[in-house]
Amino acid sequence: MSLLVGYTATPAGEDALALGVRLARSRGTGIDIVLVLHSEERPTVVPTDAGYERHLSQLAAGWLREARALVPADVAAQTHLVYAHSFADGLLETAETLGSEMIVVGAARHGLLGRFTIGSVASSLLHVSHVPVALAPEGTRNGGMERPLTRITCAIGTRVGAQALLEESIKLAASGNVPLRLISLVGVDLPGGHDDPEVLRVGAAHADAAAKQALATLNKDAEVTTEVASGQSIEEAVTRVDWDDDDIVLVGSSRLAQPRRLFLGSTAAKMLHELSVPMVVVPRDAATTTVGE
Amino acid sequence: MNNDSAKDVAAAAESAATIDTGISKKGLSAGSVGLVGAVVIGISCIAPAYTLTAALGPTVSEVGVQVPAVILVGFIPMLLVALGYRELNRRMPDSGTSFTWATRAFGPWIGWMAGWGLIAATILVLSNLAGIAVDFLFLLISQIAGNPDIASLATNPFINVVTCLLFMLGATWISYRDMQTTQKLQYWLVGFQVLVLLIFSGAALWQVANGNAFDATAIEASWFNPFAVSSFSAFAAGISLSIFIFWGWDVTLTMNEETRGSEKTPGRAATITVFLIVILYLLIAVSLIAFAGVSDGEFGLGNPDIQDNVFFHLAGPILGPLAVLVSLAVLTSSASSLQSTFVSPARTLLAMGHYGALSPKFAKVSPRFFTPGYATIVSAVTASVFYAVMRFISENVLWDTITALGMMICFYYGITAFACVWYFRKQWTNSVREFFFTLLAPLVGGIILAVIFVATLIDSMDPDYGSGSNVGGVGLVFILGMVVLVGGAIIMIIESRKRPAFFRGETLSRAAAD
Repeated sequence: MSLLVGYTATPAGEDALALGVRLARSRGTGIDIVLVLHSEERPTVVPTDAGYERHLSQLAAGWLREARALVPADVAAQTHLVYAHSFADGLLETAETLGSEMIVVGAARHGLLGRFTIGSVASSLLHVSHVPVALAPEGTRNGGMERPLTRITCAIGTRVGAQALLEESIKLAASGNVPLRLISLVGVDLPGGHDDPEVLRVGAAHADAAAKQALATLNKDAEVTTEVASGQSIEEAVTRVDWDDDDIVLVGSSRLAQPRRLFLGSTAAKMLHELSVPMVVVPRDAATTTVGE
Repeated sequence: MNNDSAKDVAAAAESAATIDTGISKKGLSAGSVGLVGAVVIGISCIAPAYTLTAALGPTVSEVGVQVPAVILVGFIPMLLVALGYRELNRRMPDSGTSFTWATRAFGPWIGWMAGWGLIAATILVLSNLAGIAVDFLFLLISQIAGNPDIASLATNPFINVVTCLLFMLGATWISYRDMQTTQKLQYWLVGFQVLVLLIFSGAALWQVANGNAFDATAIEASWFNPFAVSSFSAFAAGISLSIFIFWGWDVTLTMNEETRGSEKTPGRAATITVFLIVILYLLIAVSLIAFAGVSDGEFGLGNPDIQDNVFFHLAGPILGPLAVLVSLAVLTSSASSLQSTFVSPARTLLAMGHYGALSPKFAKVSPRFFTPGYATIVSAVTASVFYAVMRFISENVLWDTITALGMMICFYYGITAFACVWYFRKQWTNSVREFFFTLLAPLVGGIILAVIFVATLIDSMDPDYGSGSNVGGVGLVFILGMVVLVGGAIIMIIESRKRPAFFRGETLSRAAAD
């Protein structure tokens, strides 16, 4: 079991690699660096040229070697050159073959005002992935690969999928011995302002229930904190919470998704828009239990 | 970028096999393109609707009613050279094609010029394609709006050039990002194009039968007789043009790696493609000549005012309200051809950069889209500038570019044919097959092209040649050809000073197959 990094020899690819290394080190696993070239099976107006394809595969091999050289020695890394119809297809097929537990991509290109925007690759990946997808924001590569994770933040609501999300967060926190922060989003769906006591009460209860579950799984000295996000909109709510540069946030996928498939819900998409920290999107589980009810 | 591994074509093939990979599927999954797919790609690359509207007029101006004969004869050198091309592609698949092969056979200088010829030819055709597309865009708009004045906007050089540059920009964007249409759409587009051409020629014959033709001309067997052409000069010029109309067909022959089914699929696909194309060409040529004649009357194919773009002028009189179909067919045909044509100069420039014959910048491949980005943009800019300049100095830009294009194709195809002969010199006598495919066919094809190249070059000095555009009493086509070739030689000498390694044969050595 290891993490799969969807790599391209671009800044976004390096962002993905940097995040992949940090996550892998925290979990004590290795990474698979995957570069996807176009499969010849895709329809084309332009006749394929064997010479050009060979040139590309050589270049790609060089890019992979360079990527491999960036990975610190204590993280096991393997490179793969894959041919598929699209980048997303190639990553999903390879993740299935390798049994990867997470796919990491450099999702974000600069949006307006330095915010996250989802690239087309990431968005097609988010629609079909059956394993969590980690999105590395622009600039992750500059933070260095050596930095350990300092806190896992899990943004939970009450919708289907929250359970899987919580479990994934606990797993990530436990494996790296990293503090876990649980943020309840229930307040956002309720009427009332951000300082409405009723909202805060419901949110706190929800977060505490999740924390209880987390503490039951984690060892005794694990650090679990809770917060309640509230506001008129999800954008307002997440900006009210404190974020630091080393945060990694886990969010669930949408109710629209088929069981065990990802579909970035509107809540997660809005958060992605506001935050410039790495985000892991967890597919909803087949289980329908919800937290805090 | 990865220049260290670029020493040799053979060495490159080995290094590709030794990548450190856990899983690796071969890029060229054998059997991905079926017979129908290969035929569709072939027809799409030839782009018959575009080719005919651009080449029919100039060909009539050279050989009159003998266009069908020239179409049939013009196919012969194309076929012979394509057979040699296939052998080279099988032995040394390389994105530099003619450049790489000629360098391997004859050394860096001739190889460089072959690459230059290929790039020049494709840049000429890019500007011509975009020019035709502009004409038909305005025609289409005017047909839809029912206002004939809109079509004549295309004759305003400023509007024309600006629209053309927009087309180029779009095509560059698509090529750079490597956007592909779906196979289904491609089938529809090609099917539509062929269907419209059939309707067009059918309608022309129908008009002739009903006595509504502009200048009904009785179809005669002599139209198919190449010896009925008035002079050798006219014949050579006609052949040079008909080589252009088959250009692109060779791709079906070289799609051997990825065609599905038996070993015979590529051969079959190429045969079916060429069979369909020849029938289509003959049908259109015969029906349009029967309808319009070759006089210089208003709609006569001999009228210099309509010769550079005959469908543009004849679609209305023949099809009436249905003429809009022809505009759509030519537009879609040019658009898909623009995309497939863009690839070829970019890949040759990439190979030249890769082997150190040009700046290494040309060898850059976009790590996101996996296309030769820099080379694509340079080709687009060159083609755009070329078109803009020509639009202002030539009275008849489309016509002159097509004629000059035929000359350039003869030049680099000829060198490629001879490169095939020379590269396989140790294998000629191995078998009857080798004798035919590596010596006889490419040698004869190469000689025909060389003769036509020289004949066209000499004839084109005449100020009345082709469209009659001239600069200082010398034919514009000759000047174009000379500027391209001499300009290439000068750039080559400058590059040889800057990058002596390639010119000493250090990056790509001379060799012979054994």
